[in-house]
Amino acid sequence: MLDFLAQLSIRQRLLLVAGIILVAFLGLSAISLNNAYQASAKAAQQQRLQSHIYTLLTAIDLYKHDQLYMSETLAEPDFSTPHSGLYAQIIQAEKRVWQSSSILGFVLALPPSSGALLNHQQIYYPSQLEDGTQLINLVYDITWETDEADIIYRLHIAENTHSFTQQTAEFTRTLWYWLGGTGLLLLLVQAAILRWGLQPLQAVAEDLQAIETGKQQRLAQNYPAELNQLTTNINTLLDHEQSRRERYKNSLADLAHSLKTPIAVLQGELENSQIGDGFRKTAQEQLNRVTSLVDHQLQRAATTGKSSLLTYINIANIIDKLIGSLNKVYQQKDIDCLFDTEILSLHADESDMYELFGNLLENAYKYGHQQVEISSRSTPKEIIITVADDGDGIPPHAAEMILQRGKRIDSQVEGQGIGLAVASDIIAAYSGQIEIKNSPLGGACFIVTLPRH
Amino acid sequence: MRILLIEDSDSLRTQLSQKLTAQGLTVDTAGEGKEGLHLGKEYAYDAAIIDLGLPNVSGMDIIKQLRSASKDFPILILTARGGWQDKVEGLEAGADDYLTKPFHFEELHARLNALIRRSAGWSQDTLKCGEICLNPTEQTVHHKQQEITLTAYEYRLLHYLMLHTGEVLSKTVLTEHIYEQDHDRDSNVIEVFIKRLRSKLDPNKTLNPIETLRGRGYRFTLARDA
Repeated sequence: MLDFLAQLSIRQRLLLVAGIILVAFLGLSAISLNNAYQASAKAAQQQRLQSHIYTLLTAIDLYKHDQLYMSETLAEPDFSTPHSGLYAQIIQAEKRVWQSSSILGFVLALPPSSGALLNHQQIYYPSQLEDGTQLINLVYDITWETDEADIIYRLHIAENTHSFTQQTAEFTRTLWYWLGGTGLLLLLVQAAILRWGLQPLQAVAEDLQAIETGKQQRLAQNYPAELNQLTTNINTLLDHEQSRRERYKNSLADLAHSLKTPIAVLQGELENSQIGDGFRKTAQEQLNRVTSLVDHQLQRAATTGKSSLLTYINIANIIDKLIGSLNKVYQQKDIDCLFDTEILSLHADESDMYELFGNLLENAYKYGHQQVEISSRSTPKEIIITVADDGDGIPPHAAEMILQRGKRIDSQVEGQGIGLAVASDIIAAYSGQIEIKNSPLGGACFIVTLPRH
Repeated sequence: MRILLIEDSDSLRTQLSQKLTAQGLTVDTAGEGKEGLHLGKEYAYDAAIIDLGLPNVSGMDIIKQLRSASKDFPILILTARGGWQDKVEGLEAGADDYLTKPFHFEELHARLNALIRRSAGWSQDTLKCGEICLNPTEQTVHHKQQEITLTAYEYRLLHYLMLHTGEVLSKTVLTEHIYEQDHDRDSNVIEVFIKRLRSKLDPNKTLNPIETLRGRGYRFTLARDA
């Protein structure tokens, strides 16, 4: 449950809370309104019953001490209409002494006996007729003072609650309709407000998505004040990150330049100096070591690796450019290179991919005789690129060594020997894998797997 | 064969210039981009070696500007970091080959030779025209397996003539391609060199490898084998 709540989006949270509050508020107000209406309806009913008591009182007359006399026509016609729903009876000493003509064909139960009600006391109580009709009753005592004794007459009025129930039910129904309608309307308005209010957040999310997919470089500028600070900062961060990377790479290039030019001079001097062969050999070896060390470390330092700030780049495009360049450089060899993928996108740094595939392809061009074949496969999880050549291939025992130390098997061909080690480093920085196999063309086959995330 | 070398490190520039000269090439040098670009636009070179990391005007810009000024001599780039993005950019801008520092001089020389003969339409390392054979790597000239000894300028002249065999080459063009930029030029010297080459290559006057076209220049007459 908590997990479910934590996963809700801001809009869902706000809508949920607003919905709950709205339902609670409307529900409570419905209940209290209903109660208030019921209470006032009840009070009105009692008042009506009481006024009937007065109607009865005005009609009662007594003569010969204890003879009760009722005038024929009561002010209220319902007392005279049978089954009108308004009934009255007068009881004295537990005996019915009079009943209204509306009681026809049934017996109105005597009110519960109790002591005389003094000082205008009244009793209200509900009851039921034999046929199930609900009644509300009012009992009121009057004391007739005669010379001998005081005679107590109990006046009993009963009214059918049918209309009362109907009325309150009607009210409740109308009330719920209105409140429900209002609630629904409010909820819709609330959703619309939320939609409008949260739209900038949605826009930011879409913008970020566009940056991730490489459709744009920065976030747009027209956000509300609350978000502007955030988006401006993200933009600054993006710019900063980009310029930082560029600066870093530039200073690495400078470092490489200033380190390797002296090495080049030394290399040149070594070749034509008049020194002994023994020293020359040692010096040459050490120089080679320094060179490959510098190359390797600089390349490692320049590798960006995985980062969420990277945009999508099309690797197929990079491979095409590399093939164009290598065809120019290896013009003499007239290599037939096959590659027909058009789009192969991945979150990666452009120059990392240039290094990775530049080294793999140069290797294929260098050691292949006439054919190089590049194929690719793309799955939702990873992309797999295969570079195969028709050269002499790589013996299985040497494969591991080539990737790790950057030693060349064939020392006759010029090259720094670290190309494949660099490629392997870059692949590791992207949590990918490289495999060396025999190619169907007869030579070596490098299978590079790069995960998408 | 006149080469332009643009490299900002003084020691590397001097060293390379000496070695290239020793290989029978004429070398003009520049230590920074502006001067290099000026030389490249002003003179006729057979090839250029350009370092990518140069002060004032970057190597990449020099290549672009030379190519847009329709200078089509082959260009070899030297890079320190050897980044593929740089290499690709350089090659797309118009360079023909690259070499990463440090390098063996033989490698540089071989690549340079390959670029020069490729741009002149030769596919083999050794230039072979009939019975005359010139090997630019060893700087030797043979006639029927017999080695012919030439002075440095004679060799340069023959190399250029053979590379462009069949083409009419004026004295000015020949002077431009065998002398350094600041050399005191006298086109009459060319006549002297031609005369000496003729007597060395063809002592019996049966081959007539170099013909004179009055008022237009000279032409190497032997067709190339490959």
